[in-house]
Amino acid sequence: MLLVALVCLVFQLRQPGHLVSEADYRTVEGWLRTEARPGDAVLLFPWWTERARIYVPPEVPVYGYLGSDKNDLSAHPRVWVLGQPEQPRAGEADFRAAFLPGRTAVGAPRRAGNLELTLYENGRYRPRRFVASEAYAKARVYLEAQDGTRTGCPFDGRVHRCPGPPHLYVAPEWHEVHFEPRHCLWMHAPGGTQRLVAEFDGVPADTELRLEGGLISEYASHHDARLSTAYYGVEDAATREPLLEIAQTPGLEGLQKAWRALPPGEPRTVKVWVRAENPERRQVCLDVFALGDGAVVSREGT
Amino acid sequence: MTAGRAATREERWLALGLWVLGFVALWATESAVGFTRDESVYFYAGESYARWFQQLFREPARALTDAAIVRAWDYNHEHPALMKELFGLSHLLFHETLGWLRPAAAFRLPAFAMSALVPALTFLLGSAVYGRTAGLFAALSFLLVPRQYFNAELACFDMPIAAMWLLVVYAFWRALEDRNWGVLCGVFFGLALCTKHNALFLPFILAPFALWRAWTTTVDRPEARVWLWRVLGLFAAVAVLYGLLVVSLGPAGFQRKFFLLSPHTLLFAVLAVGALGMLHLQNEVHPPSALALLPMATMAVFGPIIFYLHWPYLWHAPVDRTAWYLNFHATHNHYTWFYLGKLLREPPFPLEYVVVKTALTVPTSLFVPMVTGWLAFAGRAVLSLFERTKSLVREPSLAECLVGLNAVASILIISHPQVPHFGGVKHWFPSMPFLGILAGVAVTRGCEALVERLRVRWPRLSLAAVAAPVFTLLMLPALIGLVRVFPYGTSFYSELAGGLPGAASLGMQRQFWSSNVTAVLPWINEHAPRNGRVFLHEVHGLSFRDYQRNGLLRSDLQPGGPFDSDVAAYQYHQEFREHEFNVWQAYGTRTPATGLYLDETPQIIVYQRR
Repeated sequence: MLLVALVCLVFQLRQPGHLVSEADYRTVEGWLRTEARPGDAVLLFPWWTERARIYVPPEVPVYGYLGSDKNDLSAHPRVWVLGQPEQPRAGEADFRAAFLPGRTAVGAPRRAGNLELTLYENGRYRPRRFVASEAYAKARVYLEAQDGTRTGCPFDGRVHRCPGPPHLYVAPEWHEVHFEPRHCLWMHAPGGTQRLVAEFDGVPADTELRLEGGLISEYASHHDARLSTAYYGVEDAATREPLLEIAQTPGLEGLQKAWRALPPGEPRTVKVWVRAENPERRQVCLDVFALGDGAVVSREGT
Repeated sequence: MTAGRAATREERWLALGLWVLGFVALWATESAVGFTRDESVYFYAGESYARWFQQLFREPARALTDAAIVRAWDYNHEHPALMKELFGLSHLLFHETLGWLRPAAAFRLPAFAMSALVPALTFLLGSAVYGRTAGLFAALSFLLVPRQYFNAELACFDMPIAAMWLLVVYAFWRALEDRNWGVLCGVFFGLALCTKHNALFLPFILAPFALWRAWTTTVDRPEARVWLWRVLGLFAAVAVLYGLLVVSLGPAGFQRKFFLLSPHTLLFAVLAVGALGMLHLQNEVHPPSALALLPMATMAVFGPIIFYLHWPYLWHAPVDRTAWYLNFHATHNHYTWFYLGKLLREPPFPLEYVVVKTALTVPTSLFVPMVTGWLAFAGRAVLSLFERTKSLVREPSLAECLVGLNAVASILIISHPQVPHFGGVKHWFPSMPFLGILAGVAVTRGCEALVERLRVRWPRLSLAAVAAPVFTLLMLPALIGLVRVFPYGTSFYSELAGGLPGAASLGMQRQFWSSNVTAVLPWINEHAPRNGRVFLHEVHGLSFRDYQRNGLLRSDLQPGGPFDSDVAAYQYHQEFREHEFNVWQAYGTRTPATGLYLDETPQIIVYQRR
């Protein structure tokens, strides 16, 4: 018992030594301001060390959420890992196992007090040739009945608003999909057999077409019998060929993903759609990407 | 030791000293503690009830009508009223009438008094059963557990019910030798019922001890055994008749036909008169067995009567309103809770949850002695059951079993996978004083062993000379942890968890009940625009008002939501991440303006609209 008490005492006395001063954060802020390039991102380690958000320059996106260690961060060619490895139970080995594959450290880590900043080339980077949530303003949005009848959802400069309940609109928004902050297209299922459709032109060929989405907040976890499966997908507008589809059953949590290669050829128009028989709590947020070839990974991460 | 014993004069003085120390410490530090969601509800209810008492004084006839009662007492009728009555009357006296205290302190004063009872009673019970050193360790360490200290500050029911539970057990134990305590046990049980519904479990925990005591003391006394059977027969007959009423009338009919002149009340009257009368006669034949059963009888009789009398809301419709109250807790909804990286949303909950949560939130230097003490007790109890191993150990006494069982009773109840698991550790506080006593036993045994060794070299060495530094070493980490985390008690995690950072990595609930928001109120007061709207997220609307009337939040500010506010204070809950991203969306920024980061873990994150 005395030994335990001694260990506890040492633990308590050492805890203040793990704190990060504002000056340390300012130092890191300075490094990032001078050295970060457009497209870079900051990844927090451990994931919960979010105080850094106050200091990281706002143009550099910060990733730090439960599960962010495993995020490919494929939109970013370079990733700055801002770590506090001395924190109790920081789990550096687990972090490295999840993060390092495909990443290459650029230079040595730099220290500012208890902060450690390391730059990595992101071998999992995939250039975005098309992002639906960025192209949303030019989309044609409508409600589509089973017989093909369309009801337009005019763009008001901010959102494509459909007739009906106020949640029926399409616009990019920040939402949580299983703890992860996603800037995605809000597309609430309209109910019945109707589909909410956003039609996009110019999706480039010879890319990987990727659909990522999910039900926001806690709604994915609900599994009452009256809830319906949310279906969302992408189809070729000209041929009506289904390209990608996800069926998210009640209770299925997490970000859902589907992808396929688009063959070489002309850019195409695609319809991104969502439907659910019972629209209750089917609050879908999704995005569609056309991804180019990634950076060549010279070697596995160090 | 089996029968109870009275505290000595020194023990009474020490207990009083502990009570004063606890009361003063809580009062001196309360102003830093934010208002939890429930607390502001109880403030409001207390005020409403106090108004009714004023009306009762001014115009009693009108106050006693059901309409007047419902108007005043309908608010928060999911909990009995005793503590809220005390909160309200204290506020009426010390704030409104005398103007001595700020509103929150006046509301909280009765809570300090109740909470400070825990160390005092723990000491009395611990020192009587195990000796003064063990009792003192238990008493001193109780409020050093940061989450217990935090809850002791609140005008809520969790610490008061822990005090009342302990008081009933103490009275029950004293009743084994003193008839007056047998009567008091029933009264205290009634007051415990008036404090919180946890008390409903007490008879099931105490009855086996009463029966065992009555049974073993009548082994050689056939005439006393006959009386024992008669008393038990009466209880059984009444239970069977109540059961028949339920079966024949159906649950709804049973409830509908339960009024003043009905078989239901007649049965209760038969039980009350019969049990107390029989025990009076049994006492003439064999006092020890009558004493053992007396607390059961007084609890059965006084409990419902005191419960009814204390709560005016029940006076005109006792059965329906009591049934609603009981049903509310039997079918309580589940709040989402973050545990080891998973959001617990609905039952079944992990069986080990309560034990793990306790291990991760009680300072480890206190938790280890608790576990050691309880395992030593349980080991002795198990070994003494078998003929082959009986001689290896000293059989635990009835009093030790009483302590040992109560140390795990609340933990076992809440561990049931269907029982709601929100609320941190507060729902099993009634176990903690008893675990503290067992910790005291383990530490004392260790000290005694150490003294024995050291006396080889220093023959005149006293136990106190060893116990004092040992106590200090064991309690110091807890004290440091308490000081470092105060007043954000719901965020504390132990050394075993790795403190708050370790708990964050483990995926444990960061905080709850919204009181951590006090850390950012000064910043909001300084930076929010005049007449601005502030989104305080989990903070209850009544708490918003309470922060303003206690001078902690500018009075010109208005409560707002994430989309219509100028400043937002998001409270980091894993289940509420969407709320923070709503703020990002509405404010057009992902960069916080400031925040509360305890040991670097985000607790409150403040955003300012651009």
